Amino acid sequence: MEYLYTIIVMMALYVILASSFDFVIGHGGLISIAHPIFYALGAYASALLAKDLHWPIVLAIPAGAVVAMVASVLVALPALRVSGDYLLIASIGFQLGVIEAIKNLDWTGGAGGLSNIPGVSITQGHGPYVIAVVLIAIATVALLRFVAHSPYGRAISALRDDEPAFIALGRNAMHMKIGIFALGSAIAGLAGGLYAHYFRFLSADQFGIMQSAALLTMVVVGGMRSIWGPVLGAIVLEALPQALTFLNLPPSILGPLQGILFTGLVLIFMFFRPQGLIVAGDVWTGRRNAKEAAHVRRA
Amino acid sequence: MSAGLEATGLEVTGLCKRFGGIVVADAIDLAIPPGRVVGLIGPNGAGKTSFFNLVAGMVRADAGRVRLDGTDLTRLPGYSRARLGLARTWQNLRLFPSLSVLDNLLIAPRRYPGESLAALLRPARLRSAEYQARERAASVLERTGLAAIAHHPVADVPFGQQKLIGVARALMNDPRCLLLDEPMAGVEGAAYGAIQRVVRDLAAAGIAICVVEHNVAFIRDLCDEGVFMFAGRVLARGEVGTLIADPRLTELYFGT
Repeated sequence: MEYLYTIIVMMALYVILASSFDFVIGHGGLISIAHPIFYALGAYASALLAKDLHWPIVLAIPAGAVVAMVASVLVALPALRVSGDYLLIASIGFQLGVIEAIKNLDWTGGAGGLSNIPGVSITQGHGPYVIAVVLIAIATVALLRFVAHSPYGRAISALRDDEPAFIALGRNAMHMKIGIFALGSAIAGLAGGLYAHYFRFLSADQFGIMQSAALLTMVVVGGMRSIWGPVLGAIVLEALPQALTFLNLPPSILGPLQGILFTGLVLIFMFFRPQGLIVAGDVWTGRRNAKEAAHVRRA
Repeated sequence: MSAGLEATGLEVTGLCKRFGGIVVADAIDLAIPPGRVVGLIGPNGAGKTSFFNLVAGMVRADAGRVRLDGTDLTRLPGYSRARLGLARTWQNLRLFPSLSVLDNLLIAPRRYPGESLAALLRPARLRSAEYQARERAASVLERTGLAAIAHHPVADVPFGQQKLIGVARALMNDPRCLLLDEPMAGVEGAAYGAIQRVVRDLAAAGIAICVVEHNVAFIRDLCDEGVFMFAGRVLARGEVGTLIADPRLTELYFGT
């Protein structure tokens, strides 16, 4: 049962991470691959608040999301002021820097990792927590879908299409980019807190570039900007390595096989289906109801 | 018409800009009163589009002032200038290909609460802004003759109509001053007449209009006045027919 729980939690967390990453890179067109560092900041902040300051978990997790959001704004502000491309460099630098910092500080557990993180009550079992994580994953996808089809989503599409034209119409492109980055990063931070209190152990290395590559694979294979694409990508790419373990292969073959699988999938999709499993529509659609559409047509 | 007490139109004084050794604006003075249509003419590289970029705030000027109806825009970023009623179109259209014709317009009103995430928490306010924008879009689409294709993706629309959408989008702003960058390039047939009609109506409604255009017939028919630019400077200003007839300017225009 614990094994199944773990798989479900990891799938749900990757759904949250891949969806929020797609919001930043796919919808927002903000080229950053440092998404895992906001996951890490949420995880460490929530874990430390609960462990050292004895915050209740239900408060520590949202606080972790806030920490991730604030950090993302601090990275995006100077980076986006220079130019869009600079965000990629600044965010990777931030990612690698924070990982090194965590490894070299005492109160973060250092290179050995942070253990004994307060978890959910064992007497109740993990069931309710697993259900909560799944519900939060569903809520995240619903929220991002809502945002993507709202007037904010229309503005995101326009910004991605043509920034100078967007600005010339009186829209504040800078504010929007920071908003997109902050929302995506806050959601990653939320996932971090959920992770920390389930597994009760954190190690800085798990939030590095390999994690970035895994998330990018999920988004690309699933289908950028399609809402359901990253969900499918996360589930498939989390399930595949697990399925392989049932083949009873010796670890010396299993490890490389999983690596080959990921790399192979990325190559196959790049060549044969760059748009991913689920193809996003070319034209933005809102939640416009039929009455309003008819109103415009009639006029 | 929503003219304030000081409807003085666009006033540009001493506008300067150089990129390294290249001077794109050399102390340009230009005033466009409300309701007047001024045509900018001059050879390629004269600084016409750069002038638009400087006035609209896409590019920051080295010196000089830009005022609209008495408000100093000089220190304001591009989006703030647009919110004060300065609208422009682009030579290369710059429509949003992933939006329908209607959504290209709905993104463009002066006030668009939907650009803030916080606004999503106030759905009633958002809905009322959307409703107003749709009302305005319906009237703009009607005026520009685009109502029939409102729900088409812009990429599927013929080029002439795309130009018209660019103008329609700028109108969502309810501008006090409109900068049109080559509105007629590549346009013929019905769209030509439609753009001409729209520009006349806007001028009649008291909007200050500046047009960059190589189509001499269009400039002569529509503009109250022409301004001849060369090497970032205003060389001559006057009636369009007179400017075109000036052999000295013709020589500069076509080269020797």
